[in-house]
Amino acid sequence: MELLLQNLGHGFGVALTIDNLLFALLGCLIGTAIGVLPGIGPVATISLLLPITFGQPATTAIIMLAGIYYGAQYGGSTTAILLNLPGEVSSVVTTLEGYKMARNGRAGAALTIAALGSFFAGTVATILVAASGPLLTSIALSFGPADYFSLMLLGLIISAVLAQGSVLKSIGMVVFGVALGLVGTDVQTGQQRFTFGVPELSDGIGFVSIAMGMFGIAEIILNLERPEARSVLTQKVGSLFLTKEEFRRATPAVLRGTVVGSLLGILPGGGASLASFGSYMMERKVSRGRAQFGNGAIEGVAGPESANNAASQTSFIPLLTLGIPANAVMALMVGALIIQGIQPGPRMVEAQPDLFWGLIASMWIGNLMLLVINLPMIGMWVKLLQVPYKYLYPSILVFCAIGVYSLNNNVFDVYQTVIFGILGYIFSKLRMEPAPLLIGFVLGPMMEEHLRRAMLLSRGDATVFIERPISATMLGIGAVAILAMALPSLRKGKDKALAE
Amino acid sequence: MKINTKDLLSGAILILLAVVGYWLNQEHALGNARRMGPGYMPMLTFWILGGLGLAVFLIALFSGPNPLDKWTKLEILAVPLAIAVFFITYFVFDALKLFTGNYYVLGSAMFVGCVVLAVAPGWRPLGLVHAGFALFGLMLEQFGLMLALVGCIVVASLADPDHRPKGVIGMIIFLCALCWWVFIKELDIRVPVWPQFL
Repeated sequence: MELLLQNLGHGFGVALTIDNLLFALLGCLIGTAIGVLPGIGPVATISLLLPITFGQPATTAIIMLAGIYYGAQYGGSTTAILLNLPGEVSSVVTTLEGYKMARNGRAGAALTIAALGSFFAGTVATILVAASGPLLTSIALSFGPADYFSLMLLGLIISAVLAQGSVLKSIGMVVFGVALGLVGTDVQTGQQRFTFGVPELSDGIGFVSIAMGMFGIAEIILNLERPEARSVLTQKVGSLFLTKEEFRRATPAVLRGTVVGSLLGILPGGGASLASFGSYMMERKVSRGRAQFGNGAIEGVAGPESANNAASQTSFIPLLTLGIPANAVMALMVGALIIQGIQPGPRMVEAQPDLFWGLIASMWIGNLMLLVINLPMIGMWVKLLQVPYKYLYPSILVFCAIGVYSLNNNVFDVYQTVIFGILGYIFSKLRMEPAPLLIGFVLGPMMEEHLRRAMLLSRGDATVFIERPISATMLGIGAVAILAMALPSLRKGKDKALAE
Repeated sequence: MKINTKDLLSGAILILLAVVGYWLNQEHALGNARRMGPGYMPMLTFWILGGLGLAVFLIALFSGPNPLDKWTKLEILAVPLAIAVFFITYFVFDALKLFTGNYYVLGSAMFVGCVVLAVAPGWRPLGLVHAGFALFGLMLEQFGLMLALVGCIVVASLADPDHRPKGVIGMIIFLCALCWWVFIKELDIRVPVWPQFL
């Protein structure tokens, strides 16, 4: 406990430097902005801004990128409540009760409970990250190569199982991602694989190109194909204060949302959107105001909004302690760390205390900032929605273009992005999820290394994966997860929960 | 038997990727399970990918109906045409030794192919957004950042029929100024700002 406080103190020392504070604020502002704007999400934004962060020290860069992710969760709720327009997938369920509350004249209360709930959940989740970090790290250090391989395999399986749509297709996308990760120089023999003699490919395919193409550019095209539906704010925001009755009803919902969100955030493939769905389902079943669901029940805002913010922070746990990204945003964080020369993994807490504790402290500071950014300044964010998409998309496009070029000062990266943009468009038309692909791409090379090492140590005996208890447990859970999805009733439940 | 066209195509794509990958992997030494060569993990990956693709394909034969959006005749025609134009441009430029170096051949072929795709109104967003992106790459190192931005924005703006010349010009001025401030003044990325031949 004392050590934890000491470490947190160190973290606040790092996070409270002028530079880090400024970049945390910048991340939160950008995050809120893209949260408010439908049609651009955190994955596209983070990949867009990655090249810009290279000039900064690693800690500052990660602090800003993290701010974008949890800032987007705050921003997404604003438009969901006021305009019935979810800015992010994670705010879809907030529209159900939040917009009803706004129509009942309680928009201000809904916004307040969303912000306060998020802040509370963020605080709890931050403490959870801080406490579990060193603990999980010490466990992870006893992992052998076989255990690591099985852990990553489990992560890939669960991220595919929890993805939207067909599980088989999602696993297919994961494996395709792993295949894309194989391009480049083989680490052990130095042989060039699948590079077609292109020198730029010998370091592997640029993952910024993949992320930008599939999440940024493909998304622009899909938005252009949809007719623009922008409603204008007609409701008054009303008083921001909660009534006593509302406060009494919202408190248990916030607590439940925090727990559900924190747990679902840690799961691979989990993260903010899954958490808000999970919490909504729970509130509809157990909360005292469940009879009022559909007519603007405050529990339906308080729970999911707390949950998505908690999850966006606990999803850092597997990344910071095991080096395994839980979702597409975390996959980008892995990329950001690797480009900064830091190998994510259990040694990071020891080797990079500034980064680990600084990030945790900055998360809490960022949540505090977001409370201020969101509540009094809500009018400004809503104005942002009046920028028509036809002016927005060329701006996103040129920022993508300059960003991807400045990675290596090479036009090949620009053309590579075009290919992944077209591929991403085809995939989303065929309902093949790009998020599992990105996770597979990041984990693929690490899995190959651990597989080779494990098999070398076991002298080519594949039973090592079942003989080691940790590894066997992981594989067992993975098998159960796949089998569970084969059951029609469970699959239907998942589809219902994930249906937008 | 109701065919799920979307899944059927998804399965076919996965199988195709697996077969091409497996074929490309032939040149890499496999090694054995104890000492894996550079080709071992790719071999495993492509086997699994092919298997998954086949499973998706077979299930799709019965799990439909889930048809694709209807394509117009022009849209059907534009896809093979664009692919053909891409390859013809690539090989002609390559053979003529026009614009060698720095992937100009690849970029021009992509640009021309995407423009051809945009002939069909349904593919206009897809074609023109990517054409603008490729044009940015083509123009950047010779014409400089400012002109590359102009080219990219003009082409990409054509993708949305709501755009008016006045709005596009205003947007160009705004974005050029913004990009200059962010990328040149603040971040100081190394890229030519103005045309190189002046």
